Amino acid sequence: MNAPDIILDMKRISKAYAGVPALREVSFTCARGQVHALVGENGAGKSTLIKILGGAVQADSGEIVFKGRQYAHLTPRLSLDMGISIIYQELALSPYLTVAENIFLGREPNRGGVIQTRQLRAQAAELLQRLHVHIDLDAPISELTVAKQQMVEIAKALSRNADLIVMDEPSAILVGEELAQLFLTIKSLQAHGVTIVYISHRLDEVFQIADTITVLKDGAVVGSQPRADLSHRELVHMMVGRPLEEVYPAPIGQRGEPVLVVDNISNARLKNISLTLHAGETLGIAGMVGSGRTELARAIFGADPITQGRIVIKGQPAVHASPAHAIKSGLALVPEDRKAQGLFTALPIRHNITLPILQRLTRSGVLQPKQEAQVVADAQKALSISMTSGDQEAQFLSGGNQQKVVLAKWLETHPSVIIMDEPTRGIDIGAKFEIYQLMRRLNEQGVAILMISSELPEILGMSDRILVMRDGQIVGELPRAAATEQAIIERATSGAEVE
Amino acid sequence: MVATSTSTTTFTFRQFVIRYGVYISLALLLIVALVLTPNLYSQQTLTVLLKQSAQLGIIAIGQTLVLLVAGLDLSVGGVIFLTSVVIARVSNGADAQLPLAIGLSLALSAVIGFANGLLITKRKIPPFVATLAIFILVQGAVQAYTRGVPGGFVPEGLSIVNQSVSFISIPVVLWLGLSALFAFVLRRTAYGRRLYAVGSNPLTARLSGLNVDRFKISAYVLCSLLACAAGVLLTGYVGYVDRFIASGLDLDAIAAAVVGGTLFTGGRGSVLGTLAGVLLIQVLSTMALLLGLSIQTQFIIKGVVILAAVALYSFARSD
Repeated sequence: MNAPDIILDMKRISKAYAGVPALREVSFTCARGQVHALVGENGAGKSTLIKILGGAVQADSGEIVFKGRQYAHLTPRLSLDMGISIIYQELALSPYLTVAENIFLGREPNRGGVIQTRQLRAQAAELLQRLHVHIDLDAPISELTVAKQQMVEIAKALSRNADLIVMDEPSAILVGEELAQLFLTIKSLQAHGVTIVYISHRLDEVFQIADTITVLKDGAVVGSQPRADLSHRELVHMMVGRPLEEVYPAPIGQRGEPVLVVDNISNARLKNISLTLHAGETLGIAGMVGSGRTELARAIFGADPITQGRIVIKGQPAVHASPAHAIKSGLALVPEDRKAQGLFTALPIRHNITLPILQRLTRSGVLQPKQEAQVVADAQKALSISMTSGDQEAQFLSGGNQQKVVLAKWLETHPSVIIMDEPTRGIDIGAKFEIYQLMRRLNEQGVAILMISSELPEILGMSDRILVMRDGQIVGELPRAAATEQAIIERATSGAEVE
Repeated sequence: MVATSTSTTTFTFRQFVIRYGVYISLALLLIVALVLTPNLYSQQTLTVLLKQSAQLGIIAIGQTLVLLVAGLDLSVGGVIFLTSVVIARVSNGADAQLPLAIGLSLALSAVIGFANGLLITKRKIPPFVATLAIFILVQGAVQAYTRGVPGGFVPEGLSIVNQSVSFISIPVVLWLGLSALFAFVLRRTAYGRRLYAVGSNPLTARLSGLNVDRFKISAYVLCSLLACAAGVLLTGYVGYVDRFIASGLDLDAIAAAVVGGTLFTGGRGSVLGTLAGVLLIQVLSTMALLLGLSIQTQFIIKGVVILAAVALYSFARSD
């Protein structure tokens, strides 16, 4: 039997950051023309591996064989020239240039430095046709949906004659049929002999599109198998390292009085949202990115204005002019983008933790360092935050510890409702478990949690009830017992049954 | 384990440069001066040096506050000019009118600072543009009011700022007192903590319940008030009204704060660092003067020092 045509062979790649191993002897092999899914939890090492392939990061040891040639290290330039294109989640497009200009940015067909516009447009049109997508060549990028921007990135990769295209969580920014379009595009790329590395942690997608699946966990390969040989359960077990049932602590199953009533609120992004949150329960909010989940969290918290409706907290109608009001009435928000909105990365941990409760720590206007140190020490102990001291800047903590700092800040305000937007995004498995345990402890103390998450297993594992959002509306409620990934996705994506 | 410990030491070395760089540079410069320009240490030179440092230093405290909230105030020159005109016109040389004149200057300065703050927060105009426009507007308005002829007299009593016991004078006491006060406010009060938070990340600050706009506006008001105080000292020092009274000081004050480790991007900096930055710039200027270097050379040296400081910081902060 002939050996399969191997286009990429990464051999025994190791990489450590400041002594902490990110990859340990990882080997990753792709056959030409296949869709190879790379899956794993956040922090498993997927992005480090891809950065090494793209030349952005250098491996400590190991080698890369691409199209039969062997390399110890790649540079971004070399990687591109060899035919490797990486499409990151944050698209690298210039917002004010047109589609055609972006595709050929820096490589415009020119004569003596003068760009040949007609040739540029013709070539761009041909590329987009090969991808079977219809995009106005002259539209500025900023006017396109993210899905179309992603297509432009793919066209850009094709224009460089890429043989291998890596897509880093491409579905995270897509809604409904956009995903179907992406899959069509991937199929047509495959038909042209392009190899695709598809990174995702959404298992349903992976099963739909991949020929081969490689699972990374804690910087090492757990397994690499043809899709046909794997079941959904096996894959979860490989990714998480334990059976699904043991990951999420059981819900406490009792709920108290309503603490938060959202009554028919609307604004630019939300339409007639009503919900009731009870003491001691975790209410999950599912939906695609862009469905209005984060906007709902912000509106409840007073970060965005509402144009209609009302919010009642513990029986008191809340006039939310600002987050400050919301905090006073017992709300807390753990935002989705931890570094941009949850933390002061350049400030010491203790400044981060005590900011909302400075009033309590001052005597006639002067801060009491001893009291503050006590608060920080207690928080460190309660949440087992691993840090050198309260003076350490938050940026030097791992994602999990950073999230614990954000949580510690809010726990000090003794909230009755905590809104958590993607509470475990970008943090390692260990910290994830700890946060799930903490959520349950809070539930037991009567704290109500409104949890937004893109990770369906998390939604299913943690929620007492699940609300599904689409287009700024709540389109379904599922009790824990009746909830399945399938049921959520159907409600989050299908358009027909709700209007 | 070994790798971890080495990375910790580099980290602390960089922290060391960021935290103490300006103080070490100042100390080195003072040692160099011992050899190169021993005259620097004569009482007369020191007295003038400190008095000029005080004028610059008080403005620089204000710039530090606005830099901490990721801002910048180019209008301080206008505030100082306005202050000198108000003092001369309102008092018209009468000592008894001095409190009224100073009070009025402070009130007008607060209004200017408030206007800066409103334009920057509510109208979202970049600080550079907003404060530059306000500077031009204030200069124009004051000149329209005086019709280009600086009338009135500076009261005799204000020359008290020129008297000194040994090298201690009222401006120096005021400067050190204000530095101590603001250093305390920034480090040990809730207001200071929140100001850093607002400058460090306004989005997080808002979601943590702070009224971001209010803190930014307060920084601009304080900056204007401090500039007004410096304006009073300058008016007494110069003894007459001059449109160019603050020329150079406004930008030097920003430079001093930056040399002292305050970042343009907000959330980092300290009053003590700024104080050292002020001294560094003044000692350097005085040494150049004592060496008989031309004014052009002085500017070149100053420029090089500022660039060197900023390059050092950015090197120490990069990874």
